[in-house]
Amino acid sequence: MKKIDRAVWKETVYVALWTLILSALMQAVFLILGKWGLSVLLGNFWGAAGAVLNFFLLGIGVQHAVSQNDPKKAQTVIRLSHTLRLLMLVVFAAVGVLVPVFQTVAAVVPLIFPQVAMLFRPKFGGIDENKEGGA
Amino acid sequence: MLELAIGIILGCCALGAGFAMIAGIGPGIGEGNAVAKACEAIGRQPESKGAVTSTMLMGCVIAETTGIYALVIAILLIFVAPNMLVDILLTAIGG
Repeated sequence: MKKIDRAVWKETVYVALWTLILSALMQAVFLILGKWGLSVLLGNFWGAAGAVLNFFLLGIGVQHAVSQNDPKKAQTVIRLSHTLRLLMLVVFAAVGVLVPVFQTVAAVVPLIFPQVAMLFRPKFGGIDENKEGGA
Repeated sequence: MLELAIGIILGCCALGAGFAMIAGIGPGIGEGNAVAKACEAIGRQPESKGAVTSTMLMGCVIAETTGIYALVIAILLIFVAPNMLVDILLTAIGG
């Protein structure tokens, strides 16, 4: 088992923190709408766990891919990672929708929280956009 | 007639879910191309590996957004929409 890169840990912690903040916001919205319940909280935990796990596995996949010498092999590695993670997300979303313990919306919406977190990433100084020609 | 209408609803939901998941193909191809280029860049400048990995992560997450949207739509079309639409149909017939 290869050691996990520091950049992957750093980004995962950042995404987990943002997921926590956005989850709190979502709970507040449910509370304001008067639809809050234990199923909302549990659904939120389930969806958020799936989202952060998906991001962490993406990080491991990217780390594994960029350590390849052959670009074609790297391409194959990341495509395989994408397929397997998508399957994992299908399971997470299906369980979140089908199991009555989880509220459907609260279980599905957190799956896009890492994307929202990454949209704010350049504003919080994580990635220098001028580095490497803005790539 | 009612069975036919319900069958059409279920079939359309399944077809819609299938069409939605076509969007899951794009991110895989895009991520693959981006990682291949990143690999070449690291080959040229091995010292930039950390920066490239961070930037790649951000790029991959953004690229995956459409795939996750499609997945959510497909899951809702498979598990939530049929019951809802059949209920609406039955209410309309009953009314």
